[in-house]
Amino acid sequence: MRNALGFAGGLSALLLLAGCGSSGQSGGAGSSSGPRKISVTITPAGCKAKPSKVSAGPATFSVTNDGADRVSEVELQSGNKILGEAEGVPPGLSGSFSVTLHEGTFETYCPGADQERWPFVVDGGPLAAGTSKAAAAAVGRYRTYLEAQTATLVARTRAFTDAIRAGRLADAKRLYVPARIPYERIEPVAESFGSLDPAIDARAGDVPAAQWTGFHPMEKTLWIKGTTRGLGSLAERLQADVRDLQRRVRRVKPEPAQIANGSVELLGEVSKSKITGEEERYSHTDLDDFEANVDGSEAAYESVRHIVAARKPALAARIDRRFDAVHRALAPYRRGAGFVTYTALTAADTRKLSQTIDALAEPLSHVGSIVVTG
Amino acid sequence: MAAPRLTRRGLIAGAGAVGAGIALGGVELDRALGDSSGSGQVPFDGAHQAGIATAAQDRLHFAAFDVTADRRADLRDLLRVWTEAARRMTAGDLVGEVDALPAPPVDTGEALGLPPSRLTVTLGLGPSLFDDRFGLASRRLVALAELPPLPGDELEPNRSGGDLCVQACADDPQVVFHAVRNLARIGRGAVVMRWSQLGFGRTSTTSRSQTTPRNLMGFKDGTNNIKLEDGDALDRHVWADAPGWLRGGTYLVARRIRMLIEVWDRAALSDQEATIGRVKESGALLGEQREFDPVDLSSKRIPADAHVRLAAPSTNGGIKILRRGYSFTDGMDERLGQLDAGLFFISFQRDPAAFVELQRRLGSTDALNEYIVHTGSGLFAVPPGTTPGGYVGQTLLG
Repeated sequence: MRNALGFAGGLSALLLLAGCGSSGQSGGAGSSSGPRKISVTITPAGCKAKPSKVSAGPATFSVTNDGADRVSEVELQSGNKILGEAEGVPPGLSGSFSVTLHEGTFETYCPGADQERWPFVVDGGPLAAGTSKAAAAAVGRYRTYLEAQTATLVARTRAFTDAIRAGRLADAKRLYVPARIPYERIEPVAESFGSLDPAIDARAGDVPAAQWTGFHPMEKTLWIKGTTRGLGSLAERLQADVRDLQRRVRRVKPEPAQIANGSVELLGEVSKSKITGEEERYSHTDLDDFEANVDGSEAAYESVRHIVAARKPALAARIDRRFDAVHRALAPYRRGAGFVTYTALTAADTRKLSQTIDALAEPLSHVGSIVVTG
Repeated sequence: MAAPRLTRRGLIAGAGAVGAGIALGGVELDRALGDSSGSGQVPFDGAHQAGIATAAQDRLHFAAFDVTADRRADLRDLLRVWTEAARRMTAGDLVGEVDALPAPPVDTGEALGLPPSRLTVTLGLGPSLFDDRFGLASRRLVALAELPPLPGDELEPNRSGGDLCVQACADDPQVVFHAVRNLARIGRGAVVMRWSQLGFGRTSTTSRSQTTPRNLMGFKDGTNNIKLEDGDALDRHVWADAPGWLRGGTYLVARRIRMLIEVWDRAALSDQEATIGRVKESGALLGEQREFDPVDLSSKRIPADAHVRLAAPSTNGGIKILRRGYSFTDGMDERLGQLDAGLFFISFQRDPAAFVELQRRLGSTDALNEYIVHTGSGLFAVPPGTTPGGYVGQTLLG
């Protein structure tokens, strides 16, 4: 029947353009062992995984909601760290996420259910030697990057908050952007620590006004009120929060697929809040954040690039070209060490930048599935 | 548990034998007419691209794109994968499998469970494509040049032009959106969308089996359009027949015609009817009884500047074009607080000069000009149709 025939032809043709290579294999389950398939059904009572004990290796969680009105997400947690999650799964809908599981004890967590935490156990299971070596190299590389960025974040935030405490307004404004850059480069990792990201980076309206802390209330006071007065306790809190982040990041062991997905999330940040001028609405330094997100995305991608290059060389080459295109698109707006303000951009400028990001993010979104399979 | 393999047709078949029968039955029906039940399928391949001499569907999503890739091979690959995706979607299939959970789904999924809905996807090539980027400058046909400035133009650059166009028509709005969205997604990195227009109701009749719809002015317009049953008229006025890559193709003109709704609504019925030249309720010419009574322009009842008189072939040296327009609204004009709505005019003709000549006359003397303004414009060469496995544009790039 034409359905079956057209299917194969269409898929390979599409993947060719998407840069996923033309080897003919489907993008999903790769090796003979394949990813472990785990189903989680959310009910009003909870979210027990089936099976709740598996061997180590790549795994895909399929989540369905069977009539639990109060629950709309499931997270896989280790301690309180989120390893994977399916959000926005109200009754009748389903979702999924993929991770590579290592030996240990975990929990499936479904806030709002009668029992919110359910045990999930992973046995030691052999990953293919070559795979684990390549994966370990990726993880090692990205961990080095994370530690370097958090160290820079702590040091630069210190300089920024020192200027605030000393009442040096011009210095504080000058040091604001450099302090934010390392944060914007690793934001998805910070977001995995629950409340830490809102404490550091919430915008007005994201949280109740009384709980608004972090960079942005200080941005508002510095640029709108033109003073450092009254910012002392916010400065103390920010300094404490970034040091907390640094401590937690030391214990992070991201999987290659998480690293890859983080690189896509960073571009999502650009599309959602930078290219719209929403992030830095008082200082209008959005393009600095834009570049930091792109740099962080590229660093994450570079960490796993050797796996992609080995499996899908055409895709790796395509992504390389599109990162180059993004850097070229940003170049005209560079001024000194930073960028023109967001308010200097025309609609044609933002449109071109936005479409260049979309062109990169589309092939990049396939990397997670390529590095997760064995 | 493996995710179930989803196909649009699989779901339709699953819904019951009747649904499956309708979906498949469409294949046997006349290609041009499609299945009038609304669930039918218009075959993609044929001598001419579908969506021209096809009974006008109810919904439109039109989009113009600029090519950002710089190699001729990239352009060819794009047209290949677009053609294949269009072929699949018009058959009611997904553009790809949805089975790799760690990867984003290949098909975006909003058309799951929906029948083909007589979807047609028509691809066109704009004059700007024929520069030195792809070595096409020498292949540009003389007639494939930007339309000259025309009376009544208040064109917005962001609603005009483009290297490529996609005209998606179907009887379901979600199906046309799905088609354009997925082509845009597949093309990301090779093309960027330049502008796009949704149309919510057909304003033209392209088959004798259809009744004449009303435009947003409340009038029946295009009663004497070329119909797909008029093979001779199609050959004479629509299909290009000069030897070369466009043979069997045609030219598409798109015009976003904003109606000054608030002004029109204040006009007396007699003024409205004099402007168009037809009776509002029946659609008959002024002084006649029925819609399809023959046009007699010697009638004194039809004013000299009435739209129907100025647009008639006998006023224009026999010029005929195939009109295939849609009513549109983009909500409210924020500057004016008025409805932003009108006619997204689409016409097909073997030579764009036919449109230019018509519009020169209409734009300068038509009584309708008091109530309309042209805000967007595009001209595209529409290559001939495909054989199975072939792609649109193969006669140019193959």
